[in-house]
Amino acid sequence: MLDDTVETTENTSSVELSRATQTLDYHALNAMLNLYDNEGRLQLQADREASRQYFLQHVNQNTVFFHSLAEKLEYLVAEDYYEKEVLDQYDFAFIKSLFERAYAVKFRFQSFLGAFKYYTSYTLKTFDGRRYLERFEDRVCMVALTLAQGDETVARQLMDEIIHGRFQPATPTFLNCGKKQRGELVSCFLLRIEDNMESIGRSINSALQLSKRGGGVAFLLSNIREAGAPIKHIENQSSGIIPIMKMLEDAFSYANQLGARQGAGAVYLNAHHPDILRFLDTKRENADEKIRIKTLSLGVVIPDITFELARRNEPMYLFSPYDVEKVYGKPFGDISVTEKYAEMVDDARIRKTKINARELFQTLAEVQFESGYPYVMFEDTVNRANPIAGRINMSNLCSEILQVNTPSDYDADLGYERIGEDISCNLGSLNIARTMDSSDFGATVETAIRGLTAVSEMSDIRSVPSIAEANKHSHAIGLGQMNLHGYLAREHIYYGSEEGLDFTNLYFYTVTYHALRASNQLAIERGVAFAGFADSDYASGVYFDKYTEQAWGPRTARVRELFDKAGIHIPSQNDWRELKASVMAHGLFNRNLQAVPPTGSISYINHSTSSIHPVVSKIEIRKEGKLGRVYYPAPYLNDDNQEYYQDAYEIGPEKIIDTYAEATRHVDQGLSLTLFFRDTATTRDINRAQIYAWRQGIKTLYYVRLRQAALEGTEVEGCVSCTL
Amino acid sequence: MTATATPRHLTRVDAINWNRLQDEKDLEVWNRLTANFWLPEKVPLSNDVSAWNTLTEQEQTLTIRVFTGLTLLDTIQGTIGAPVLIEDAVTPHEEAVFTNISFMESVHARSYSSIFSTLCATRDVDDAYRWSEENTHLQHKAELILNRYRMDDPLMRKVASVFLESFLFYSGFYLPMYWASRGKLTNTADLIRLIIRDEAVHGYYIGYKFQQALAKESAERQQQIKDATFDLLLELYDNEVQYTESLYDDVGLTEEVKAFLHYNANKALMNLGYESLFPGAAESVNPAILAALSPGAEENHDFFSGSGSSYVIGRSERTEDEDWAF
Repeated sequence: MLDDTVETTENTSSVELSRATQTLDYHALNAMLNLYDNEGRLQLQADREASRQYFLQHVNQNTVFFHSLAEKLEYLVAEDYYEKEVLDQYDFAFIKSLFERAYAVKFRFQSFLGAFKYYTSYTLKTFDGRRYLERFEDRVCMVALTLAQGDETVARQLMDEIIHGRFQPATPTFLNCGKKQRGELVSCFLLRIEDNMESIGRSINSALQLSKRGGGVAFLLSNIREAGAPIKHIENQSSGIIPIMKMLEDAFSYANQLGARQGAGAVYLNAHHPDILRFLDTKRENADEKIRIKTLSLGVVIPDITFELARRNEPMYLFSPYDVEKVYGKPFGDISVTEKYAEMVDDARIRKTKINARELFQTLAEVQFESGYPYVMFEDTVNRANPIAGRINMSNLCSEILQVNTPSDYDADLGYERIGEDISCNLGSLNIARTMDSSDFGATVETAIRGLTAVSEMSDIRSVPSIAEANKHSHAIGLGQMNLHGYLAREHIYYGSEEGLDFTNLYFYTVTYHALRASNQLAIERGVAFAGFADSDYASGVYFDKYTEQAWGPRTARVRELFDKAGIHIPSQNDWRELKASVMAHGLFNRNLQAVPPTGSISYINHSTSSIHPVVSKIEIRKEGKLGRVYYPAPYLNDDNQEYYQDAYEIGPEKIIDTYAEATRHVDQGLSLTLFFRDTATTRDINRAQIYAWRQGIKTLYYVRLRQAALEGTEVEGCVSCTL
Repeated sequence: MTATATPRHLTRVDAINWNRLQDEKDLEVWNRLTANFWLPEKVPLSNDVSAWNTLTEQEQTLTIRVFTGLTLLDTIQGTIGAPVLIEDAVTPHEEAVFTNISFMESVHARSYSSIFSTLCATRDVDDAYRWSEENTHLQHKAELILNRYRMDDPLMRKVASVFLESFLFYSGFYLPMYWASRGKLTNTADLIRLIIRDEAVHGYYIGYKFQQALAKESAERQQQIKDATFDLLLELYDNEVQYTESLYDDVGLTEEVKAFLHYNANKALMNLGYESLFPGAAESVNPAILAALSPGAEENHDFFSGSGSSYVIGRSERTEDEDWAF
């Protein structure tokens, strides 16, 4: 930079700078990402230097050294670090070849945050937490060996997909596989609460048990009778849903996974529940401490009728769940409000209150301004798109899981009279850019589906029987996607442009084909389909109509070129007809296949942009308890392609919604969709975006974020489970 | 301007009309300040309890002392500093802005108590308050500022106020930023960042009002004020260096904090419209601290023009029929 003679002369600022840089630690080097250099350029090289220094100054000095793999594995098993059963499934010769194959790839972290996140949160450490026992390659091999359950071919395939960054299992899976002291591999749970004390008590217990195991848990509150409803026919007795929310919130903050992170929970409520306004007010800035909900996430379930009433600027009726259940013989959450609305309005047995529909939407937006919550689920859209028999009445902590459930009944001693079906989901995401670069696109998808299915098969959540039961029968999984914006920018395509939308559609179309094909293959191999397959749109073949009766292909030359260049075959109508026949004959092994989570941590390790969102910033500031402030450069960003990294606030809600709409039509579950606004936005802008999303067939909306907003710390940073 | 040639105080009470502005800046700042309104209850400080327990006893003592020092400054600003500026206001809107500033300073002072009650034992906090009463540098700093506030000179009151807002706070702000860059007390840092966001606007606005007023003075008086300003800064600076040493020597951070002081002294002078005193200051500040100051999801150090931090109150607007046309 400067020759030696200069250093001895008077202090110039650049000499000071170069001296300062030499003595900087990796925190400071990484922080330089957030500061432009003297010429206004990004200091991307400082981050690479930070990553290098992190290894030199910290990781290498704190890693336990072993002479050989055999010595290492023997030690880790003997000292109760690794699960002996996992390794015993294989010959040592195979294990050795797998590790060698992994190390030969010469994996390097692409950012400081990736490396830092991996070593602070994922890798195996000595019990005193001081020294590292694994490198990234070791972790990948242990995950592959665990999930392959003794099948060498699958183990090799999984290892290849993960080490090359095409497939990345969700945090609980990637963190825990192969470790002796570990939490569950599955991450995300959804539970109903019925309108009785046994069920409420059970739900608190489940919150504790599932949080202890590192999951994120969502609860359905729609069935609970409203404040002031009768108990044992005595009027004005019930205190409604708020005290239940308080208890859940306390349960979540009490239980944490070995202190690693706080439990995280969400609650969903139907918009036509009488407590809806009280529910929203719990997130107000100036709410009374007794009712204020700080860390629990909220979601509102909105049926089509609410939009229709708001369109006509009419009042909307809220219905007492207590009365509805008495009249219809089923819980409020299992009723389609849109379908029964007129009937319930006219039924004198159901007590009701009236609010203004447009004002509800405005209140919703006001609260979203203040807190980012609630999430929104468009109930009728979700159920129309659901190929499985039954009703979907809630979503989860990240609003991407959408599955059917059924109630449980309890004995007086709190045992189960009838075990209903609650929901669990394990996730993992493909890196879109790397998957497009894959030498065999279909095989990449299939391996991912096999990996996720293994997680479902290896999970048995005995503390919550309704979850264990449903999982045994459904094998529901959620294959997600990330790095869409990174890929588009790399290929010099603008996010939300015609080509961007075209690509999104075609990519999800192709993934869906292979996901179904893989699940069909699994059903053939195992000789069994998921329970309830016979009643599904897959079994009747109706599901396939949209693929067999119209041709799907690229709409733009650029996207055709991308698929051609990658050598990816775009499934034809004939391919679909064959698949349809095979599915109708043999079934699918997994009841649910895809769900696109928000992807936090794993997208940093994997060097991706999150989910299928635009980047929030070219250089993202990340605040996490264990990490402090860390800065993350968008993948593939350089000084020449910056224009393709418009951030989410610049891009605005419409293009994001359009992009998600392209993907949504192919995904059987949901996709976490955050809406981003500048601080000039009003509640009306938020409402307009919600209306637009609903009209575009979006299933759920996740956070609302404002440029000034963030609210860092008050929200649970992402979902324990799906923030991967 | 409707005020007379030498506007000093508002002489009588007129009903304030926000639709007739003498100075657009008043409304702009009012809007910014109200949009930035927050209360400490917003921040889940209790999430920092486990991080707090990882600090050594020495580090904990340092942190509590730093926060008691900040509490003292915010108390001065909320109960004396901002109110005297109200007296000096030349437009009713300016008065209104200062009432907001005054209140937010009290919120800040209150916030440190929230931190204490969440993280620390009462006895330790009481010890620290005693320490703050006995620390001569801290008391001297308060005395220097209070002297200016008691003087009957609106210009020097503003100077003192800007030095407090833009300079004196930062020896304290350094520490939570430092912890946060090490992954400790990150929620506390969020709260401090909200305070920094406010103080940045306060310093900017008071400095702006100072420059407006100064421009109306004679060249001679302008020179007097400038001399007095730099005298005050140097006096404060010397004291601040000693204060910093008394706090940070034991943990070996003094040099870094001093570099940060230089950077902020320059900022304070810039707010007053004067040239920097410490050349190259920005370069020698630890980038981790400098970067940590930026409040929101994107860079930008100029808090005022750049968008702020992590929380705003939204504007409500009713939807119209056209929005529902589907």
